[in-house]
Amino acid sequence: MDDLTEMLKGTLEGCVLEIIGSEETYGYAITRRLNDLGFADVVEGTVYTILLRLEKNGLVQVTKRPSGLGPPRKFYALNDAGRDELARFWAKWEYVTSRIDKLKEGGR
Amino acid sequence: MNFWETMTGSDLTREWKAFEVRAAVLPADHRAAWEEIKGHLFPYGDFTGRNLMPILDSALGLLEETAADGQSIHEVLGDDIGGFCAALAGGEGARSFRDRWREQLNRNVARKLGRLGG
Repeated sequence: MDDLTEMLKGTLEGCVLEIIGSEETYGYAITRRLNDLGFADVVEGTVYTILLRLEKNGLVQVTKRPSGLGPPRKFYALNDAGRDELARFWAKWEYVTSRIDKLKEGGR
Repeated sequence: MNFWETMTGSDLTREWKAFEVRAAVLPADHRAAWEEIKGHLFPYGDFTGRNLMPILDSALGLLEETAADGQSIHEVLGDDIGGFCAALAGGEGARSFRDRWREQLNRNVARKLGRLGG
């Protein structure tokens, strides 16, 4: 599906939190996961800026590990603040989707 | 950073050289992206550009990691390098030269209008 970028903007951060929440991971793997889900337009640069923001806001714990070749990779795991933020994201998502579904069904 | 470095910016020159050494070993398309990223980030710099150093360092780090993975630059940055740099510099609201000029202009206009009793 094309042209999802604008719609995804506000939710991508939550998606990344969810992916990190299920296991400690790194930028490239997160991007691939989102691509596999069907978000083909998401590039690593996008994920990378989100990760920087999460790090700056103190929601993730970052570990540098040497990789097979090339420079060390940064691995991300959620800390307590990150888990709280993720719970808030799903609560907001629940709210928005339930309202929009209602609108679609023609209710008030 | 000692006083001499603060006054002369000699540490910045050294850091720039280190960046360029790292960039020189990147594949051609990543190197081209590096040039473009520098161009896009300059407007976000402060007077000396010191605030850009950690940002440039992390951008270069991303280029190095992805080059080592064998990813193409399009897979990494897509076609919106400007947007990537804006997000990197702290989002759309990051203060740039342009913002400061705009502010100054607004202030001057407001003062002129005030004087006219508008």
